Amino acid sequence: MKTRIRSLLASIAFTGLLGGCATTAPAELVQARTSYAASSNGLAAKLTPTELHDAWAVLAKANKEFDEHGDTTMCRDYAYIAQRKLQLADVKARTEQDRQKIAEAVKAGVVVRDTQVKNTRAALSATREQLKDERRDSNAKTAEIEKTAEQLELEKAARMTAEARLAGAMKDLATIAAIKEETRGLVITLSGSILFASNKYALLNTAMTKLDQVAEALKAQDADKRMVVEGHTDSQGSDRINQPLSVNRAGAVRDYLVSRGVDSDKIRAIGMGSSRPLVDNRNAENRANNRRVEIVIQPSHLSVR
Amino acid sequence: MMKELMMSVAIVGLMGCTAVQIPAERLQRSEASIRGAEEVGASGVPAARLHLQLAKDQTVTAKQMAANGEKRALLVLARAESDAELALGLAREASVHDDALRAAQDLKAVRDRGTP
Repeated sequence: MKTRIRSLLASIAFTGLLGGCATTAPAELVQARTSYAASSNGLAAKLTPTELHDAWAVLAKANKEFDEHGDTTMCRDYAYIAQRKLQLADVKARTEQDRQKIAEAVKAGVVVRDTQVKNTRAALSATREQLKDERRDSNAKTAEIEKTAEQLELEKAARMTAEARLAGAMKDLATIAAIKEETRGLVITLSGSILFASNKYALLNTAMTKLDQVAEALKAQDADKRMVVEGHTDSQGSDRINQPLSVNRAGAVRDYLVSRGVDSDKIRAIGMGSSRPLVDNRNAENRANNRRVEIVIQPSHLSVR
Repeated sequence: MMKELMMSVAIVGLMGCTAVQIPAERLQRSEASIRGAEEVGASGVPAARLHLQLAKDQTVTAKQMAANGEKRALLVLARAESDAELALGLAREASVHDDALRAAQDLKAVRDRGTP
């Protein structure tokens, strides 16, 4: 390309020496020569050399015509065509450059998108794993809740059964004993006459049947309840006799109840002697009422050892 | 002698009036370039529109010159053809340049979107 420019310049110089003084190159030719010099050093030389060569060939004809015949119409026509071809070479070069930019942008876009897709997939995968873990946890929690609910249902059913049992036992008990709710607890009062012979603390045979019913009622109570068996006498006789008698009677009842399945850790016996009569001891009926055994089922907040 | 001279003048006169024949293939090529430029939207690109018009005008001129027996008709047709090709090139350039700008914008948009 540089050789061509050199030969073009030599041609111009030669023309100037021989005939340039006589004829000035037409504007079209001057412009075409200038354009060629610029294009051959520009983008066209790299990207559209064929088009540039075509332009050079026409420019050479213009130069030849000018060299041989001066500023003729033919020279101007060739210069005009050469100028258009040079413009076309430049335009095509710029177009090619734009095409290359498009190709590069598309290629870069693909790379960016690929990276984004890769990252999105990774994020999606992580989210899936997280969801899987959460679902697993959720399933475990659901199972736990279901199990708890099931357990609660079982407990509820057991409680209802126990309550029904207790209600039944208390109802049966009410036929043989007085039952009274007091601040110290539920008090079951059994008459001494149905349990013991006079001045004795051995249980009568008939008493055992009744105590069996008491034992059932006690066993049906809540597990945390504690019970106290209290022995009471009338005021006849001295405390020296009455106190141990009441202790022994309470002990006999307690032992029997324990033998019928009442938890020994939850039931204790105490003798109250004649210290807590229900009524005054003036007549036989009142004294009979004062001779008694009370079983106190303490409320939960009092059921401490 | 006079007769021969008269014949020569007649022949020269006939030759002077003879139309210049533009090769059909040349004319077709020029007209095809004009049509091509129009099809790719040269009329909508100012620089291309100018050369398209020059191409059309020069084609008409070339035909008239050919009809008048002017030998320059072929060169004028060549000028027309070069203008038509330039119009076509300019129209294509405008279209491809728009595509390049769009591609760059698309790429920027994709990059800006970033990684989710």
